Amino acid sequence: MEREQDPEERAPLFGKWSYWYMLVAGFLLLCIGFFYFLTKHFS
Amino acid sequence: MSRPDWIVLVLTLLAIIAYGLYKSRTSRDLDGYILSNRMVPWYMVLLGIMGTQASAVTFLSAPGQAFTDGMRFVQYYFGLPLAMIVVCASFVPVFRRLKVYTAYEFLEQRFDLKTRALTSFLFLVQRGVSTGISIAAPSIILSSLLGWNILWTNIFMGGLLIIYTVSGGAKAVAYTQQLQMIIIFSGLAIAGYMVIHKLPQGVGLREVLHIGGKAGKLNIITTGFRKGGGFDWNDRYNLLSGIIGGFFLQLSYFGADQSQVGRYLTARSLTESRLGLLLNGLVKVPMQFLILLLGVMVFAFYQYNPRPVFFNRAQVESLSHSKYKDSLAVLMARYAAGEKERLGAVGDPGIRAVELARAQEGDRATVKRWLDDPAVGGDSNDTNYIFLRFVTDYLPVGLIGLLIAVIVLAAWGSIAATLNSLASCTIVDFHRRFARKALRPEQEYRMSRWYTLLWGVFCVAMAQLAYNIGNSLIEAVNVLGSLFYGVILGVFLVAFFRRRTGGRAVFISAVVVEIGVIVLGVLGKRGIVPLGFLWYNVVGAVGVVVLSEVLQVCFGRTGDVSKANRNQEVG
Repeated sequence: MEREQDPEERAPLFGKWSYWYMLVAGFLLLCIGFFYFLTKHFS
Repeated sequence: MSRPDWIVLVLTLLAIIAYGLYKSRTSRDLDGYILSNRMVPWYMVLLGIMGTQASAVTFLSAPGQAFTDGMRFVQYYFGLPLAMIVVCASFVPVFRRLKVYTAYEFLEQRFDLKTRALTSFLFLVQRGVSTGISIAAPSIILSSLLGWNILWTNIFMGGLLIIYTVSGGAKAVAYTQQLQMIIIFSGLAIAGYMVIHKLPQGVGLREVLHIGGKAGKLNIITTGFRKGGGFDWNDRYNLLSGIIGGFFLQLSYFGADQSQVGRYLTARSLTESRLGLLLNGLVKVPMQFLILLLGVMVFAFYQYNPRPVFFNRAQVESLSHSKYKDSLAVLMARYAAGEKERLGAVGDPGIRAVELARAQEGDRATVKRWLDDPAVGGDSNDTNYIFLRFVTDYLPVGLIGLLIAVIVLAAWGSIAATLNSLASCTIVDFHRRFARKALRPEQEYRMSRWYTLLWGVFCVAMAQLAYNIGNSLIEAVNVLGSLFYGVILGVFLVAFFRRRTGGRAVFISAVVVEIGVIVLGVLGKRGIVPLGFLWYNVVGAVGVVVLSEVLQVCFGRTGDVSKANRNQEVG
């Protein structure tokens, strides 16, 4: 598969899109952890 | 509904239509009408994506779902952030570089015309029918709760938005979705505040969570494994089905469904498309969590206030004209006395309050059993009525109108984007592709407007048909997306990740696996193959990838790889 990389395209804030991907995946993990805590704490 | 509520509702909806018409001016060609001249900023892409995905049923159903089944439904969205990453890394750059109008256009360049036509056709059928249902579902609820005529409610829900969607295409859709989402979030925030405000002194969010937790409503994370047994494949919402099944469903929805692809292709640049999608990946799960939490708040509210025996008033009314009318009168009197006693015992440290609540549950179960009686022919599921019943019974005048407007606007945002995408596929993938004579840009623009109008009328007619057929169709169509999405995604996965696989292998695989998934759905419905509907997406996608790979080996590696594929490798 071809991954296009526009030479002028720079990801905002972090410079690289891979950091954005890590942020999104990391935030999902954080949410799951928080939900797990709520489930355990209040049940 | 009171006059002030009507005024709030009508003014809000008129404001949206006027704003949509005001923002309608685009260039009179396909680029302007379908893609808003690719000039939409990232925050409007984000709101457009969210507004397209969140239909009226999202806001009606989710709080009711949390009220009855708990908050585990949030797991359904766990695959979404991961899908956003894959869409941004693999799908969006290719779509933007090839400057396609529809996702399926890319498939002709990668495979061949028949694969493009098949996937676009599957999209049109599935989306056309499901959009009709997404008009019917909230219309049935509103007409039942407020006593509105169903035809007019369907026209209200699915017809008025056609005015600005036909007039302004993708640009009008994007601008109105922006305003709609602001109104929706404001309305829900006010509703949340009002629930807490109406709780007794000393009962706040912390106590709400404790009440919800004790009643099993805070089951946010569930593993799907039975106690002492294996994994329950028929369990709809759990961590595994949410992450894996949800990932395939959302990847298909955002990568291969034109109603979403059409939103992020309107962005000014690749960066803004990606930013809108990734921010959606960040906010979607917390947003759904908060909507579900609203349901738990309403649940806590009814611990301190009288709860109706059944939330759908019209169904109770229908029982009062059935053979159960005498039994119903006795039950209602007993239930009302029971509620009074239960509320008097709230805060009682003993088990009396628990016993009273259990007795009330028994009466509710009886009403549902009566509604299930074929002689009555009622609908025993009142989940979708819970939130609106709370709104109409307990919220102040004016706010009721605003929250009804929230429901209608949620429907409009989603349906408008879909009509635009249905028209896009019809003109780009079929009319323009198969027309003998090339159309001028002005003609294509005018044809697109006609197609938008025709699809709008079709969807409203479909909604009316769904109402006449009844609940069985609505339930069937709830899983319709998952029957088609997996296969469409499979075709795209092969296109992106299996370079050596050609059009013939993928086309045959798509047809065979689609038949297989439909058979699986029918067997699942009859309880022969118990499999939660989210797994159909995995079966469809993986099935197409594996079968096309096998067929390509049979056809020979070099015989069928398309010219466009080679072009893509080069270019």
